[in-house]
Amino acid sequence: MIRLCVCVVAALALAGCAPLVLVQPERQTVGGVISVQPGIKWNKLTMSGYRGNVEVWTLDGPGLNTLLFFTGVPDGEPLFTRATGAAQQEKPAVFRSAMNPVEVQELLEATMARNFQTTIAEARNLKPAPVANGQGFRFETRLVGRDEVERDGVFAGTIRNGKLYGAWFQGAKLHYFKRYLPEFDQMVASAQLVGDAAR
Amino acid sequence: MSLTRRQFGRQFGCAFCGLAAALLAGSLAAQAPASGRTFLVPGYRPAPASDEKGLWSLMDRVEQELKLSRFVVRDPTLNAYVRDIMCRLAKDHCPDVRTYIVRTAQFNASMAPNGMMEVWTGLLLRCGDEAQLAAILGHEMGHYLRSHTVERWRDARNKSDFGTFLGLGLAVAGLGAFGSLAQLALVASSYGFSRDQEREADEIGLELMSKAGYPPVAAAEVWEQLIDEYKAGTAERARQLLFATHPEPEERMGALREAAAKAGGDAGERGHERYLEKLAGVRAQLVGDELALRQYGRSELVFERLLVRWPDDGQLWFAKGEVYRLRGEDGDAARALASYARALETKNAPPETLRGTMLIELKSGARDRAQAAFEAYLKAKPDAADADALRMLLSQ
Repeated sequence: MIRLCVCVVAALALAGCAPLVLVQPERQTVGGVISVQPGIKWNKLTMSGYRGNVEVWTLDGPGLNTLLFFTGVPDGEPLFTRATGAAQQEKPAVFRSAMNPVEVQELLEATMARNFQTTIAEARNLKPAPVANGQGFRFETRLVGRDEVERDGVFAGTIRNGKLYGAWFQGAKLHYFKRYLPEFDQMVASAQLVGDAAR
Repeated sequence: MSLTRRQFGRQFGCAFCGLAAALLAGSLAAQAPASGRTFLVPGYRPAPASDEKGLWSLMDRVEQELKLSRFVVRDPTLNAYVRDIMCRLAKDHCPDVRTYIVRTAQFNASMAPNGMMEVWTGLLLRCGDEAQLAAILGHEMGHYLRSHTVERWRDARNKSDFGTFLGLGLAVAGLGAFGSLAQLALVASSYGFSRDQEREADEIGLELMSKAGYPPVAAAEVWEQLIDEYKAGTAERARQLLFATHPEPEERMGALREAAAKAGGDAGERGHERYLEKLAGVRAQLVGDELALRQYGRSELVFERLLVRWPDDGQLWFAKGEVYRLRGEDGDAARALASYARALETKNAPPETLRGTMLIELKSGARDRAQAAFEAYLKAKPDAADADALRMLLSQ
């Protein structure tokens, strides 16, 4: 049975598939700590390959666009890791509670470089921005992975009580990022911290 | 600490282990050097109906894809320079070889049987002079001249099936799936050469270096540097038991040093200053790519070693400061500030040295000094893209 399960998962992975759960355009609680109001239907990936305090959504498939929610990354933990092979043998760079937004931006750059095994991973245009009814920040990303597809992205987040909360939307520069940027902006504007994160 | 060759392959890519190949002895029009080995003749092409032709065709497609890759470094000065070194080594084979500089922050070079050579930027960053780069290119030429890739490919195909060969390569390379033909080439390169093939490529490399006027001892230096870097790594690494029969790196380094002494030792041209001059157009990018790996211990060692070669290089002092700033452990703030200060005493400190200084000062609560560093940064780099972000930090 175990072998069968492994085979099914392997087959799904090879096919580029990941089990999806439909997310309706109604207020959602992500990871029990972030509440957002999507304007359209999304898909939540239950087997995304990302590890850490993250939840992954997509619209057109993870190869075309992904939305990563950071649901309270604590001190000493990486933003996320992905099972991509040899590079994962090395210790990842980690988030520190005392980090400022510039350092978070640098950390996401390094995290992208490591997890997408690329040297073309940049973050820029860091600006202050209101996030979840408080002070936060926002910056843009650019990434070219091993598939040579250029992906643009935007991160919006905040550090509260020493933990990082936020969302990073990235997608293929051609069409799949820009088309849904207004939806991302609208969702960020609707974001609230709930549960333990709100205390 | 002893290392298996395979561990090295995973850590540093596959320079000194490279891509696999060898021709049927009978298909080679022989050229016999002093060593008595049979080499490919210049202008060699495989017979149209041969299995080797199939492998060449695959590599030709890989090369077509590589030519368009965003990761290929286009800097004309650097490309011409690497090509010149290759031709100095390859001599009559020069027209058969194409060099591509690939922006990847790991130590690697590989040579395909069709003459396509990849040189990764992590390798270029680490070399201390032209002779060290020539040592690696010479080694890869050794694999090429003796057609080790084809030989290895045939050997693997005969022992198992091609799918197993690729699957094993995939496991070794740690790739989840084929994203492109270039990745396929990487997989092929990850399937290591035999112990004898590596030794032979080492020997041929030394011979080519000596004939080209480079000091053969540079080959042993490169290997020694890699071992030191590996030891500086902090992460746990699983032993690759499957490849445990391969030579230990220390053993290989010793053999190389001995052979290098016989081949001419340190007699020859280093090309120390020329190397730095030709690398200048991309070096800042290479430093940034190394820092992005966040392998602090290893990067510290790399920059310290390069600082021995270029003690007044502001770019390297800055890079060392960045290692400490990004690591952020106890005492690192002071170390970073000291490195930045040393960089600012040189003629080529990048403006980002002042940015780093500002970030450290701000963190330690020295707002006035942070403000002063910020203003100096803007003066040195008026169009700094992160000016608003830094201003935001200062205002908080």
